[in-house]
Amino acid sequence: MKKYKFFTNLDQEEQWLNDMARQGYTLVRKSFGYQFERSVPEEANYRIDFRTFKNQRDFEDYVALFEDSGWTHVAGTKGSGAQYFKQNGDQGNEDIFSDADSKAARYKRISDMWMTLCCCFIPIFAVLISTDAIDASVILKPQSLYYTPGLWEMNGTRFWQAFLFETPFALFRGIVWMVIPVMIIVYSVFAYKAKKEYEKSQRQ
Amino acid sequence: MSRDKHLPLTETVYYILLALLEPAHGYLIMQKVEELSAGQVRMAAGTLYGAVDNLLKQKFIQPTASEDSRRKVYVITDLGREMLRQDYERMRHMIEVTNMQWGKEELLHEKI
Repeated sequence: MKKYKFFTNLDQEEQWLNDMARQGYTLVRKSFGYQFERSVPEEANYRIDFRTFKNQRDFEDYVALFEDSGWTHVAGTKGSGAQYFKQNGDQGNEDIFSDADSKAARYKRISDMWMTLCCCFIPIFAVLISTDAIDASVILKPQSLYYTPGLWEMNGTRFWQAFLFETPFALFRGIVWMVIPVMIIVYSVFAYKAKKEYEKSQRQ
Repeated sequence: MSRDKHLPLTETVYYILLALLEPAHGYLIMQKVEELSAGQVRMAAGTLYGAVDNLLKQKFIQPTASEDSRRKVYVITDLGREMLRQDYERMRHMIEVTNMQWGKEELLHEKI
């Protein structure tokens, strides 16, 4: 079973995974969505860390440390960031963090990742604007998105036919570049949210 | 004399450096820290990984040859030894002056 959900709070995400395990769904993979497999309902203890690794060797070493400490790495890759762990049995530490600072530092790394993504898009956007690849004036003059010669001089049915035929293309021309500023805004909102969570969990 | 900005070391950092006078991999560091601190400092995996990562960046420890293909082995550097020594001196001074002050206090009580 596949489920799509988005969390900005890791504690809530961990709780949700524990709830799913209680209902008999065990996490097997995480990419865009959560991939679950049917299993015996159980009281599980999922914990999430956030880290990316320079190479496979560092990643292997990281996973080995958690395995040695009684945790199974259930989802996450070298570059995925979020790393999902499930406790084996109930011996050892309850949590993968033993102090508030290191637990809070996860949010710092998440915030930094969104900020980096955001900062990658800003120069691209600036270049597209300065080279006139993006023409912001189309917002004021949407008719300039229509390329059919003599379209605005046509009348009646001929006009509507040509107009409606070209509208999807015009919309596409006008909207495609909007993806970039939207991404910049979305990424900075995520960065801000993670920053807030960082400050909140530091105070606890 | 101005003190190094990394001092004083936190309790966990002090014990990790002490544990890494001999080479060890992550889980072994956790066990040694617990043992050296007489069970007072019990680190969880995520916290230890972050601490080791920081110490590597500060060059207090470094990776060393490992027979294990999966687990990386670390050992203290000269800089790390120097930090450990300075923090030890700091704490020894604290213990000496504390003993002295307590001694004075006792003498005072005896006179009364």
